[in-house]
Amino acid sequence: MDLLFFASTALFAIGICGILTGRNALIFFLSIEMMLNAANLLFVLFARHWGNYTGQMWVFFVLVVAAAEAAVGLAIVINLFRSRQRVDVDQFNRLRE
Amino acid sequence: MTLDSPLLSFLTVLLLLSAVGVITLRNPVHASLSFLLSLLSLAGIYLELSASFISMMQVLVYAGAILVIFMFVVVLFQDAYQQIDISKANSRAVFLIPTAAIFLVAMLAYGWEFVHLPMLHIELPTNFGSIEGLARTLYIDFFFPFEIVILIFLISLVGALYIGKKEEL
Repeated sequence: MDLLFFASTALFAIGICGILTGRNALIFFLSIEMMLNAANLLFVLFARHWGNYTGQMWVFFVLVVAAAEAAVGLAIVINLFRSRQRVDVDQFNRLRE
Repeated sequence: MTLDSPLLSFLTVLLLLSAVGVITLRNPVHASLSFLLSLLSLAGIYLELSASFISMMQVLVYAGAILVIFMFVVVLFQDAYQQIDISKANSRAVFLIPTAAIFLVAMLAYGWEFVHLPMLHIELPTNFGSIEGLARTLYIDFFFPFEIVILIFLISLVGALYIGKKEEL
């Protein structure tokens, strides 16, 4: 159990590290998904620890929100790429064309 | 509660290695495949934690749907990645320090919490994590959040369609 707590924390830290150090917009999305996965791992762990289904229920909701976020976020990235021909987030520095 | 199977340790190591691979590999296709490996090892961990339905959902939704969208977008943007490779990333390794700080603080907080966490010895039912018990909880205790989530999903789909469509002149 301690091992899985360590894994969850490390997964979250790796996701934060990916967002802070990366420049690629798509890697950002993968990092966000990894942080959601870290939360999911804790939910499942505690669902087993307390022996009820509430934790697993929240994992279900997080999955749905992650899917919705990927759909909207990737649509935004596609639009940005269409207008700028870039996926490097450092170059998206203007709000208006 | 003891969770010390060798399989679990192996899956955890695999999970962390592939997660590091996601943010260190430069090629986005390799990063996506590494992410797929981390998702599959996480699904294995869920199976070990007796959450079989969640494990199945993980494979179907994450590996089946979200990652496929990612791969489509990556294929769409192939020439953009070559530009990024040319314009050599200025390394932002400074941010490793706040990351390490966050990790340490989180570990300390966890340690503080779990010194006081009572050790339970709950007898789990043999079919814990099956689709039946989960559905019972979902449709009885969590019915309103379920409806809200459906609404969120519908709105996000419409929004993605609206954002993604080409402007018609």
